[in-house]
Amino acid sequence: MKTKLCLICKKVPVEKKAPYWPFCSERCKLIDLGKWASGQYAIAGEEIKKESEEEDDAVKPPHS
Amino acid sequence: MAKKTKEVTPPPKTSKEEGKGHRYDASTIKVLEGLEAVRKRPAMYIGSTGTSGLHHLVYEVVDNSCDEFLAGFCSEVNVFIHIDNSITVIDNGRGIPTDMHATEKVSAAEVVMTKLHAGGKFDQSVYKVAGGLHGVGVSCVNALSETLKLEIRREGNVYAQNYKRGVPEAPVKAVGKSDKTGTKVTFKSDPQIFTDLVYNFDTLSQRLRELSFLNRGLKITIIDEREKDKEHVFQYDGGIVSFVEYLNKRKTPAHKPIYIESTKDKVVVEVALQWNDGYQENIFSFANNINTRDGGTHLSGLKSSLTRALNQYAQSHDHLKKLKSTPEGEDIREGLTAVISIKLPNPQFEGQTKGKLGNSEIEGIVKQVVYEKLTDYLEKNGTEARRIVSKVIEAAMAREAARQARNLVRRKSAMEGGALPGKLADCQERDPANSELYIVEGDSAGGSAKSGRDRRFQAILPLKGKILNVEKARFDKMLASEEIRTLITALGTSIGEQDFDITKLRYHSIILLADADVDGSHIRTLLLTFFYRQMPTIIQNGHLFIGQPPLYRVQKGKSEKYLKDDVALEDYLIDLGVEGMKLKAKGKGAQEISGKPLSILTKRLIRYTSLLDLIRSRRDPRVVDAMVTAVNLDAKILKEGKAKLDAELDKIADHYKKQNPDASDFKVEVLEDKEHSSHKVVYETNYNGFPKSTVIDTEFLASPEVMELKKLRVAFNDIGEAPFSLSHDGDSKTFDTLMEAKNTILEEGKKGQYIQRYKGLGEMNPTQLWETTLNPESRRLLKVEVEDAVEADAIFSILMGDQVEPRREFIEKNALTVRNLDI
Repeated sequence: MKTKLCLICKKVPVEKKAPYWPFCSERCKLIDLGKWASGQYAIAGEEIKKESEEEDDAVKPPHS
Repeated sequence: MAKKTKEVTPPPKTSKEEGKGHRYDASTIKVLEGLEAVRKRPAMYIGSTGTSGLHHLVYEVVDNSCDEFLAGFCSEVNVFIHIDNSITVIDNGRGIPTDMHATEKVSAAEVVMTKLHAGGKFDQSVYKVAGGLHGVGVSCVNALSETLKLEIRREGNVYAQNYKRGVPEAPVKAVGKSDKTGTKVTFKSDPQIFTDLVYNFDTLSQRLRELSFLNRGLKITIIDEREKDKEHVFQYDGGIVSFVEYLNKRKTPAHKPIYIESTKDKVVVEVALQWNDGYQENIFSFANNINTRDGGTHLSGLKSSLTRALNQYAQSHDHLKKLKSTPEGEDIREGLTAVISIKLPNPQFEGQTKGKLGNSEIEGIVKQVVYEKLTDYLEKNGTEARRIVSKVIEAAMAREAARQARNLVRRKSAMEGGALPGKLADCQERDPANSELYIVEGDSAGGSAKSGRDRRFQAILPLKGKILNVEKARFDKMLASEEIRTLITALGTSIGEQDFDITKLRYHSIILLADADVDGSHIRTLLLTFFYRQMPTIIQNGHLFIGQPPLYRVQKGKSEKYLKDDVALEDYLIDLGVEGMKLKAKGKGAQEISGKPLSILTKRLIRYTSLLDLIRSRRDPRVVDAMVTAVNLDAKILKEGKAKLDAELDKIADHYKKQNPDASDFKVEVLEDKEHSSHKVVYETNYNGFPKSTVIDTEFLASPEVMELKKLRVAFNDIGEAPFSLSHDGDSKTFDTLMEAKNTILEEGKKGQYIQRYKGLGEMNPTQLWETTLNPESRRLLKVEVEDAVEADAIFSILMGDQVEPRREFIEKNALTVRNLDI
């Protein structure tokens, strides 16, 4: 399915050529901007468990 | 038109008995004032002498008929616009009393028509409620009419009286007989008063429609005789519910209209409510049929009861958890279409245009009535209630978000005086087409980039992700609003649907540069998603790129080198390994290979190995190697089969066994390949402890892998025959295969090298950063396409989610790619 739902209201399908794409309306686009502006968008980091183990820095060269 | 007299109570509940209990005759009419004042200062009485005042005359007359309807004695009103723009209003009410007025010594009808503020409306015993033009009455219409004809049907007779500019030509007299009742007024507005005498059909229709909504069941017709077939009939049995449906007819309503009706302290309150999927608030308020355009106490009572009832319902049903603060009135009323109509004795109208109801007691009455009834409705209609509440919550969230967005833009505008953010190291170039902006993650890397760039055309903006410690359980990454603002200012385009202007973009190449670790990929995903959602044009126009910092750092002694990818690393190691090496095949005539040709040969050998590696999952690479090396098997031989094929297969088997002396299982079978009218060879071997089937058929022989392997093999054959000797600084080693020679060369190259997968931009000094990442000659850039951004958005949605499970699943699935999530 090519046409996706509006990212904010998740109700209205939005065509790629629509004026507010990928949102259905100016309002939904504004809500999205508001979320950026108020720091509501965060990428969830990894859970803090124990000390995160450092990966071995040295990597094998691609061919051997 | 029964002007004043009668008990008027709202239609459904009106008791005619009660109405008839009072007399409606001359004694009920009080006289307050004469009409000269009206002609002197008409605007004081009808608002203006323009179009709106002109139309007001009609409303005034019709309002009187509506009062008769409210009293329960009238069912139909007919309005005519005649060809000379005179107006006739006919009702089937009781007719204005014609008997002699006790104090005025003229007929009651004449008092009504000539005395200001005369009428039953001032005597509450007659009309409990009435609208009219704030009590100035039909006498105003008379005063402002060039001519007015009054005709009354009452008590079996027809009475008539004519006026000129408010002055009666003669007393009321009976002119005929009729068994009907009612009042008919025909008037022609006075050109001495009004500048424009032409009535607008649509304007009148609109008000008459409104009146028919407000007076449930009353039939109102309007006929425009100036044109053919121009007429309307308004009659709505649904009353204000029909009104709300009418107002919402182009919208998608969220539920059936809610109707509230109640009488308290002689005040009748009627409210109809319906939310639709739009965002507009559309509330009409009326007091005694008068459109109170400026609201007043009834409207404020309605608003506060709506807020209270809905918030309380939402709260008690646990719907407000998602919100930071309780919904406000405007959230509650977003997408609401409502009509409130109240009927009250002694309305007081305030304000410049008298469009505001002032009776203070009304607010409390409306508040109480609506709150009770609406709460009751919500409790009884769960589905509708949830629908309305979810709309309200959305509105509250939108309001909050919009406020945040406005803050962002507002503060940004303050900076628009040309001042660029202090963090931005701008370039000298002023033509956006030739300017580049590097958005660099982290201050330290930003510092190196600032020193290492070509300041003539490269600008650097360091950007930091902000780290949030979420409930001490994990560290989330986000872009602080300050960073977003800085970014927008640097780009120059502004933001938001109204303000964004791509033509103001200050750089036509925007390059995202982040570390090649998970944090870097998160920042990149955030930025990509932001561009995609809020500035998709930048991506669509091809302005956005992802910079590719080097993947490896190689250190030998004091020298270090950054290598952008696997190929670069390989080249580097080969070049080092080949240094001083000489390769020679068997025999005196064989040519010695060194330097560049040896590098090329080594690369080909590596390629050969990696091709076999690719095949591994489907076939035994040792068999394929034997096939490519020992024979030149092609589709033709396969097709012919028999002796020639057998001979080839023998060679393959010999080579295989020679190369893999320890290999145990080795079975060959030649089968028919009907699809290609040919044969196929199936080998069963044991590879790394697992049985492996290798099918050699027409299709496989034509595959690009085999073609390339064969080509490479030809190149290898040119070198000569085994054994091969490799000499370096006098040392010499001998190998049976070229592959072994290649491994030795690579090992030589790696000797003393410390190879590290490079992680942070900050590790490089400015020169290194320039060479690897900034220099247009040597850097690698990936242009971001819309599809990439869509993908980033999807990843963003997963990474952002509070749902731990899908996120963990995603990270596990993409464990290998997350490290280098270049999108």
